Amino acid sequence: METVSERVEIEVAAAAPGVPLVRHALRGLLSGIDVDDDVIADIALAVTEACTNAVVHAYRDGRGTIQVTASHVDGALEVAVRDHGGGMSPRVDTPGLGVGLPVIAAIAESVEIGSPPDGGTEVRMHFALRSAAE
Amino acid sequence: MANLPSMTNGIDVERVDGIDVVTLLGEHDLSTATDVSRQIDLALESGSGLAIDLSQTTFIDSAVLRVLITAQERANEHGAGFAIAVADSSGHGVHRLLTLTGLDSRLSTQPSRAEAIAAAAFPTPR
Repeated sequence: METVSERVEIEVAAAAPGVPLVRHALRGLLSGIDVDDDVIADIALAVTEACTNAVVHAYRDGRGTIQVTASHVDGALEVAVRDHGGGMSPRVDTPGLGVGLPVIAAIAESVEIGSPPDGGTEVRMHFALRSAAE
Repeated sequence: MANLPSMTNGIDVERVDGIDVVTLLGEHDLSTATDVSRQIDLALESGSGLAIDLSQTTFIDSAVLRVLITAQERANEHGAGFAIAVADSSGHGVHRLLTLTGLDSRLSTQPSRAEAIAAAAFPTPR
């Protein structure tokens, strides 16, 4: 049985100002765990990219929310970024570089992208946590 | 909402030795990318060299990285000098993003603010 030590859930508007809010909530969770600073920085980058993808691609009219759940489970971190938009539709006017998913994949131990039954997209990332003492 | 220390950020623009220097302080992502781009555009209008100082930048994402790439391209198009300071004092995430994307070798980077300003004094050959 999994042991969830700490868990944070945050819901923000699918807009740019919500992205740093998620990152800081995540850092708040990690601040109470013995984790190497560089690992925290890597996780912050991956989750930021996932949130940015949701902001940019999820909602055609720009209105909606993003739900992020971060769980400290059995010494690892599981982060799910969920939107209820129309799926990962590309934008020709994207403000990004198109490197978000590759960056996430390079940092996370595993990443799953799915379309939940009630619509939208969920990006689920699994991060190993290396302690500062290692 | 009280400002957390890590949420403090800003964009400084100044002129140093005839070079426009845009300094990104703290964390920058999609939420500040438009402001960063606007300040860079204004600086490029002067026609002088442009240095972007990331030595006090603790975080950037790919949206900001895109702004930096565009800035380099525009500077090159106009034959203006351009350099980005990515120093040891830059945040781990800054170095990490540049390395993961391979852009650390494509962007004109210098290891310090002073070296970036000096490099930006030399126009890019067309």
